[in-house]
Amino acid sequence: MRPGVRIAIDKIFTVVAGASVVCLCLVLVAVLGPMLLRGGSAVAFKGTVEFRKMQLVLFGQGDEDKIAAESRQAEIARAKIYSTIEKFKGGIDSEALTEKAKQIYRQFGNDLGQTNMSAEDVAELRSVTRNIRDRLESAFASSNTAEVNESLAYVLNFKDDPRIKNTSAAGLIGLAEQYSKDIHGINLAERQRYYQELRQVEDTLIELLGPAPGSATPALMMNRFGATRWDLAQKLLGRLLWYEEWIKQGPGQPMVRRLTPRSQRFAGTELEGLFAYIQQNLPEMLKPRPTFYWQYFIDDSTPGHYFGGVGPEILGTLLLTIIAMLFVVPFGVISAAYLVECASDNFVMRIIRMSINTLAGVPSIVFGLFGLAFFVMFFLPMFGAPSKGCILAASMTLAVLTLPVMIRASEEAIRAVPQTYKEASLALGASRFRTFIKVTLPAALPGILTGVILSLSRVAGETAPVLFTGAVALGPVPKSIFDPTRTLSYGSYDMAVGDKLAAMVPHNQFGMVITLVLLILCLNTVAIVLRSRVFKKLAGH
Amino acid sequence: MKRLVFSLALLMLAATGPVRAETLQIDGSTTVGPIADAFAEYFMRTNPGLEITVKKTGSGDGAAALIDSRCDIATLSRFMKDKEFKAAVDHNVLPVAHAIAMDGVCIIVHPSNTVAALTTAQVRDIYAGKTKNWKEIGGPDAEIVIVSRDTSSGTYETFNEKIMEKEKLASNVEYVNSNPQAQARVKTTAGAISYVGIGFVDADVKALKIDGIAPTKQTIANGTYPVARPLFMFTNGYPKLGSTVFKFCTFYLTEKGQEIILAKGFVPVTNY
Amino acid sequence: MLESSAIKAKQGTLLDTLAPAADSHRPLVLTPTEDIRGFLTLHLGRTALFLVTCTSVLAVFLIFLFVIREALPFLAKFSIKEFLTSTAWYPEAVTPKFGTLALLVGSGYVTIVSIIFAVPVGILAAVFLSDIVSMRIRNIIKPIIEILAAIPSVAYGFFAVMVLAPWMQQKFGFSTGTNALNASLVLAVMALPTIISVSEDSISAVGRELREASYGCGATRMETIFNVVIPAAHSGIIAGIVLGMMRAIGETMVVWMASGNAAQIPSPWWDLSQSVRTLTATIAGDMGETEKGSPHYRALFAAGLLLLVITLCLNMVSEYFLIRAKRAGGKR
Repeated sequence: MRPGVRIAIDKIFTVVAGASVVCLCLVLVAVLGPMLLRGGSAVAFKGTVEFRKMQLVLFGQGDEDKIAAESRQAEIARAKIYSTIEKFKGGIDSEALTEKAKQIYRQFGNDLGQTNMSAEDVAELRSVTRNIRDRLESAFASSNTAEVNESLAYVLNFKDDPRIKNTSAAGLIGLAEQYSKDIHGINLAERQRYYQELRQVEDTLIELLGPAPGSATPALMMNRFGATRWDLAQKLLGRLLWYEEWIKQGPGQPMVRRLTPRSQRFAGTELEGLFAYIQQNLPEMLKPRPTFYWQYFIDDSTPGHYFGGVGPEILGTLLLTIIAMLFVVPFGVISAAYLVECASDNFVMRIIRMSINTLAGVPSIVFGLFGLAFFVMFFLPMFGAPSKGCILAASMTLAVLTLPVMIRASEEAIRAVPQTYKEASLALGASRFRTFIKVTLPAALPGILTGVILSLSRVAGETAPVLFTGAVALGPVPKSIFDPTRTLSYGSYDMAVGDKLAAMVPHNQFGMVITLVLLILCLNTVAIVLRSRVFKKLAGH
Repeated sequence: MKRLVFSLALLMLAATGPVRAETLQIDGSTTVGPIADAFAEYFMRTNPGLEITVKKTGSGDGAAALIDSRCDIATLSRFMKDKEFKAAVDHNVLPVAHAIAMDGVCIIVHPSNTVAALTTAQVRDIYAGKTKNWKEIGGPDAEIVIVSRDTSSGTYETFNEKIMEKEKLASNVEYVNSNPQAQARVKTTAGAISYVGIGFVDADVKALKIDGIAPTKQTIANGTYPVARPLFMFTNGYPKLGSTVFKFCTFYLTEKGQEIILAKGFVPVTNY
Repeated sequence: MLESSAIKAKQGTLLDTLAPAADSHRPLVLTPTEDIRGFLTLHLGRTALFLVTCTSVLAVFLIFLFVIREALPFLAKFSIKEFLTSTAWYPEAVTPKFGTLALLVGSGYVTIVSIIFAVPVGILAAVFLSDIVSMRIRNIIKPIIEILAAIPSVAYGFFAVMVLAPWMQQKFGFSTGTNALNASLVLAVMALPTIISVSEDSISAVGRELREASYGCGATRMETIFNVVIPAAHSGIIAGIVLGMMRAIGETMVVWMASGNAAQIPSPWWDLSQSVRTLTATIAGDMGETEKGSPHYRALFAAGLLLLVITLCLNMVSEYFLIRAKRAGGKR
């Protein structure tokens, strides 16, 4: 080949090789970038007044007076919405009417228990009133005028029944009368559609602004507050303003989504202008402000990580890592010392080396099974501890997992210490043990720290070994090493695939993963800094 | 610095037997998991000092944990199998079932799919691999992407018994490990079909009518929906009256409990 | 007495060290107690260290013991041939079928494809770092590779299922975003740091003389690298590749979340956009819900044993190549 061609190929090769490294950097950016961006929004975002209220109630953070003042302002802006909806709801809310009927029936049942009628009379009365209640419910639910009138007529028959007249069950009759007045002239078919769409609007409003003032406090914390983040609020606003339906196209074609503005759907009713009002005044109702939620790394979280931070998970991961390191470092360094100093190349040594290499190759899931069967079911009961997953078992499993890494790195480090150091120390009369402790080990310290760094990353990030031995998805902060704990690794897995609530809070999903990655990088950095300090100290000597 | 690390370590190791608050261990199904989480949250809020741990790794795991006495309450989305009962009795554990809610296994597809109703036989053919394209059953021209729960889940058991009638699934069926995963697959893939508990059906997926009956709270509660099933909590013997376990297992009978069950999307067993 | 002189020697001046080591007051001979004490401490110490070192042997032994113990009833009852060659994996059917061929093919498939992606990039990068670029830039790029290695597998799995899968589905119109291609790409990224560091070590260990001789004959840099350096370092490079393969085949979280878990052999075999299932994902996924002690449970342990055997073989292969590399390095 001509020399020019060869030189050209050489240059192309250099470029290609450089491209592969650039490709690596791009991959790193591609993997970490989206996670950082989306996870970062768990810490830095635009928070609303609902967020500040939630922080006050759940974690006691924030200025109470300022938040109360803001809430009052927000409520004033929101009041118009609720009054408009109340006005519209009067004639069409069959669920509320059904609830009322059920309550009256229950009240009547309680009252009957107070009187001293015979048991058969009580049972008969109850069954009569139950029939009335059921017919009333079907009247409320139906959209067929004839059916409704028939049911109402049945109920109104009991108007003058002496057993019912002066008791609380008369309320049922009252409901029937009121209802027949309300629906007089309303198109029942439209009513059904209005009612269903109003339900959608109300549900979205509850998610956006929290429970309506005057309604019962929901049992679950996540339902007690509205949208805590401005981006979530925008998404909910979209759902509020637009009605989504799927339209058939031709045969063999998938349906397409069509969005109609809700004001159109409620055209001609009181609700028509409501949506524009909400859109314009949402900032006033939610008061968004840029928030820097650094307490994310300290706070506990509500179940499902709907609110709150990843504090306990970080603590769990750190505990597991530190305790596993406490096990691994002595075992690893001592084994490496033995292998370098006292080993001769005989059969037993070969077996030991083969075992270490085999251990390095065992898949992490097999370690998980081993940890469960050995440490949890066998080892712990030997010491009288209850045989359930706990930090101790998980740490020991992780220690066995990273033992080969530690041994290999330490061995290399100890071997790399120049023979002259050892010989000089021995010549000065020190025993072999003293030589090792005072001379070889300090000189090998940087390499051993490298081993510690590698082990740290492995231990903090492994999920499969802790699945069965010590990690839980929901649980209190551990009080001793015999408790299970939440960890960042298992939490990330659970948030990604296991949890229903997690999909509603993507910033928390990504937040947890990126916290794990950042934690590992931080641990690495600390260890690297330590290593370079030790290295400098050694070089200085 | 070294001293700090060491003293911290010693402190941790020394903290082996503190005065423990009351604890409750719950283990089991991923379907019942959200209900257990919500109950736990409510209980921990109203009883400070009570600690509840919830694990959600699967119905079989919950049963095994109860048998080994590793948990106080096992949540299962299916009834205990014969072998599990036998193993429990061998370990001196008497499992008692509490049916806390009703669930319906809904067949879901992407909202853009024109198909709105199928018969049990049609679903069986899809999952057995005999029907490969949506257009064969009146849908758009797209390949059917079949998603199923993993073979050891309670949801799969119900689906297998009542719809598949134990026929084998096709070999190209994708398996996911949890209800939310199945729902996420269908939400993002236009040609996908899967089945989830009714608590996991929301506006992003469409639940089909099976044999003409739509899965709603009424049809599941009165059993007309063909694939309805109860959700269970199992305890070792009947819990002592008034104890925390007793209150937890009978919480579903109270109004607050039913409100929570409804909020999670399931169907309460009674109708106040 | 020897100790005191050692201390003195460390702290003392040159004059002190010239003092005689022994005289009539300080004989070099040890007293019997000192002698026995020294002997005992030496040998007891050695034994103690030996026992500590043996924990790794103990650990491996226990792992194998436990896995074999749980898998043996299954292997005794069901035919091993069917276990290894049948593609029907229906563990919960009325007549359970435990054929792991589809799972083995799945594991092998994603491993081989990931190696195909990782090896060219890895070797090129190793060559770039050791031969082409200066020490300073090398010390800037090394941390990037270390960061790639430090990212935990659950984060990669997260990335695969939440970022890569939807993107793949939209961009390429695949019927499913969690498929063999997805899993292979992410496994390739995970295997890269191992391949790069081991290859780079062995390429750097090739002596300067070989390179200089080649340049002296008039070869360009690329020709030197491809015709001289890489063949000289080939044992180390192969060892690195095998270690990367071990990482890929043993990886659980990524394949569990991203490969789709369909126990099938893709039907045109080159179709990467279909879902596959690996041994590791099967064990991790099914273990949580199986009845302890049932045939399914034991079959999973048998699958675990299979995995152990495969990784053991790969281990021995890589060991062989590493020893050859060390020997080749030492010969010069």
